[in-house]
Amino acid sequence: MSNGRAFWLFVGPFAIGLLVFVYVPIGWSLLLSFFDARNTVTPTEFVGLRNYADMLTDQPFLSSLGTFSVFAAFIVPLTFVLALALALLVNQISFMQAFFRSVFFLPTACSYVVASLVWKLSIFNGVRFGLANTVLGWFGAEPVAWTVSTSPPWYWLVLVTLRLWLQLGFYMILFIAGLQRIPQHLYEAAWIDGARPGWQTLRYITLPQLRTTSVAVVLLLLVAAYQAFDEFYNVLGTDRGYPPFARPPLIYLYYTALGSGGQDFGHGSAGAVILTLLIAGVTLLQGRVITR
Amino acid sequence: MISRRRLLSLAGASALLAACGSNTGRGGSGQALKQWYHAYGEPGVQQAVERYASSYPKTQVDVQWNPGDYDSKLATSLLSDGGPDVFESTPQISSVRAGQLVPLDDVFGDARNDFSESILATHTVDGKIYGVPQAVDMQMLFYRKSFLAQAGVQPPSTVDELIDAARRLTRDGVKGLFAGNDGGGGVLGGPALWSAGLDYVRDHQVGFDDPLAAQAIGKLRELYTSGGLLLGAVKDWAEPDAFNQGLVAMQWTGLWAVPAVQKALGDDFGVLPFPKLTGSGRPSVPVGAFGAMVNAKSKRVDEAKEFVRWLWIERTDYQEDFNLGYGFHIPPRKSIAEKASKLTTGAAADAVKFVRDNAKASNPPDWTSVMRTAFNDAVSRVVRDGAPADAEMKGAAGKVRDELKRLYG
Amino acid sequence: MKAVRYLALSMAAVLFLIPFYLVLRNGLATEQEIAAPSWTFWPSEIHWENFAALFSNPAVPMVRSMLNSLVVAVLQTAGQLLLCGLAGYGLARIPYRYANVVLYFVVATLMIPAAVTFVPTFVVVSTLGWVSDLRGLVIPGLFSGFTTFLFRQYFLTFPGELEEAARIDGLGHWGTYWRVVVPNSRGFFAALGVITFVTSWNQFLWPLVIAQDQDAWTVQVALSTFLTAQSINVHELFLAAAVSIAPLVIVFVAMQRFLVRGVTETGIKG
Repeated sequence: MSNGRAFWLFVGPFAIGLLVFVYVPIGWSLLLSFFDARNTVTPTEFVGLRNYADMLTDQPFLSSLGTFSVFAAFIVPLTFVLALALALLVNQISFMQAFFRSVFFLPTACSYVVASLVWKLSIFNGVRFGLANTVLGWFGAEPVAWTVSTSPPWYWLVLVTLRLWLQLGFYMILFIAGLQRIPQHLYEAAWIDGARPGWQTLRYITLPQLRTTSVAVVLLLLVAAYQAFDEFYNVLGTDRGYPPFARPPLIYLYYTALGSGGQDFGHGSAGAVILTLLIAGVTLLQGRVITR
Repeated sequence: MISRRRLLSLAGASALLAACGSNTGRGGSGQALKQWYHAYGEPGVQQAVERYASSYPKTQVDVQWNPGDYDSKLATSLLSDGGPDVFESTPQISSVRAGQLVPLDDVFGDARNDFSESILATHTVDGKIYGVPQAVDMQMLFYRKSFLAQAGVQPPSTVDELIDAARRLTRDGVKGLFAGNDGGGGVLGGPALWSAGLDYVRDHQVGFDDPLAAQAIGKLRELYTSGGLLLGAVKDWAEPDAFNQGLVAMQWTGLWAVPAVQKALGDDFGVLPFPKLTGSGRPSVPVGAFGAMVNAKSKRVDEAKEFVRWLWIERTDYQEDFNLGYGFHIPPRKSIAEKASKLTTGAAADAVKFVRDNAKASNPPDWTSVMRTAFNDAVSRVVRDGAPADAEMKGAAGKVRDELKRLYG
Repeated sequence: MKAVRYLALSMAAVLFLIPFYLVLRNGLATEQEIAAPSWTFWPSEIHWENFAALFSNPAVPMVRSMLNSLVVAVLQTAGQLLLCGLAGYGLARIPYRYANVVLYFVVATLMIPAAVTFVPTFVVVSTLGWVSDLRGLVIPGLFSGFTTFLFRQYFLTFPGELEEAARIDGLGHWGTYWRVVVPNSRGFFAALGVITFVTSWNQFLWPLVIAQDQDAWTVQVALSTFLTAQSINVHELFLAAAVSIAPLVIVFVAMQRFLVRGVTETGIKG
């Protein structure tokens, strides 16, 4: 058998699937984004760049991109610092190390739907018997309508803590793997040079040695924040749709193209293309930082 | 494009997939018709509609009950080939223009004159009828007589009195009013417009492009910030649980809840329309009827129409059971409504009177989901975020105008 | 110093375990206990009968949706390991003129998250008639450029001597792959397999879009529907959540070594 035939025997099935389920949709989406495609996926009315112009001046879409930025600005640094802290703590102990690692990693077993259920109906329930309101009650405070109130926007506390709980363990594992790759002799050399364990070794050895891991973690966190959908949909969505705040881009596209927002595939596709370009841009930028 | 079979043969588990795929109930001929309902909150309705469907002699009909965001789910499924054959909804001019609905004028026959004209009008687009009205729903304000008496509060007859009542009735762990967990922005937007003598759409023009609209919606903000609203209840406004449990003195819900409220509170409650804002405005109640519709993408349109005719035209016994056996609805057919003794006394009788005197269509066909989303989002921003009402209403009016222009040219 | 560390870790551990505690507490209590004005730390008696009520509730398709989730997760895991493993090996070890072109097309998809293309993918899948169909749930998720890329990177480091030995024994590429490469890469397959299974079990957006019929719901879609509609009892909802986590907790306990490796592989190489 020639190498060419062997190659396609191995790669062919995957390549065809990639073509049909990744490249055809992307192409179709590009096509739809240049048409007036309301209530149909086989449109006839070519509108040029109008959908793009509409989306780039569309207040709800822009504010959904803004929402992502706010969300990312909270969740990325918080997850980074806390996951690193957990990794350092777990890595420094010997007794019960496996136990603590497992406990912090266990939430990864839960879906965003399950976490939303717990957060919305139990921890941050707006009535008196919610856990957070029970704790507030011990201090004599009034119950707070966590997911309803927009001023102050308590729902951010709900959404950020939810995601922290769910993803900290995953990134802690990444950091632990990174820490274990740091050669021990670097620390020994530093001690001989008089550096004290603690801040100094962290600052001058651990953090620089974790550079690759750190960049990977930030990249993964950013892309994940861009794609936020599950917990927003389940915590804030109701049976009559989604409120006009805290709307991440995917939620907005979901309601524009598929939901009750008008089955508008032209604008939905244009929005998806813009979002894809944004994510690809971030990825490329990050890739440049890694390889430099 | 590659054929379906070739594609399947590529995946390792093709045989298993095909085997599992075939019994998920997509309707080829000889299989069951698919009928969708949204989830009614009253116990017994799901069993009832399944009973109706199973007694249909000609074909098997599978009923799907859809809890959650029914409008979005229906919209998605109507785009694909896997949607229901028959479903309940209200027609929108945009779906009619997109050819998603089958006209049903020919299934009415002689019964056409038996249907209430105003309800049929909400199912008519460009002179054709797209839904057979199943049951008329209306929303109104429920109040607890004893709570009002204790607080020395009169049933409100203006919007200002309503806000004042909500504030004064809030005491001892009881809140004044429950109008949804979103603070009323979702359900009271329409009534607020009507209270000022405005409307969603009038003669293909925006009906609320008026400074009064900002004033009317601003009142909802005043209500929200009055401290008299219950927020974050376990069940939302459509269920009377908060009212029945004594958590609130007043609740906005619907006629359907009357049997449950009567059971919980006996005679200790009364009902009101949403009050007027000013002299030029009027009290109002939102009225609408889900109709049985046929999906134009169905492969068995004729069978689906025949089933609709059988259930919603011929079987008046089922129609009566559906309208009055569980939650209360007003039968859309005069012959059944006249016999409805349950609607002749107490709160139900008041509701019938409100519908006669103060009805406003809650989902008129020319009020499409795009317009509704634009309007509701604006109202929500005013009510919950304190955004300036005049700018928000202007913005919403602009979006509605664009959509009207697209639909009517 | 050591004591401070253990104190901090113990406090964090308690916080991390609270949600699991709440799922069990609410799932095994009665509605009255959940809504009681003062907090009850544990139901006064454990209501095991809630299980029977949940599984016999006709409005909640618990058995069907768990089964759907299981079938989808198993097929997606097996399918990805098969297709992406083969493709990764071909790209890494079979010299071919256009291999780099193909690789380029695979790598390009890494920059486009699958979630963002759900709208056009829905369009394609609905054209194939796969809405509310197991094929629609499973097949579009099989062709992961990311998994293929990981396999390629891994096979690049596969020891060439083992392949040589197989070649001398007269095996072609196909035989070498199945008889030598796969058996010597079990750990890597297990690591990627476990992480794929977990991701597949927990995925939500795609099943939400494609599973319109109740018969096609995965357990995540079922939970979400009843969460947003709030149409069933709170304790049943929490018990259903507990049941939905159970298979993954088993996977976590039994396969943690592979799972940790899977996280590291997928995280760092990305």
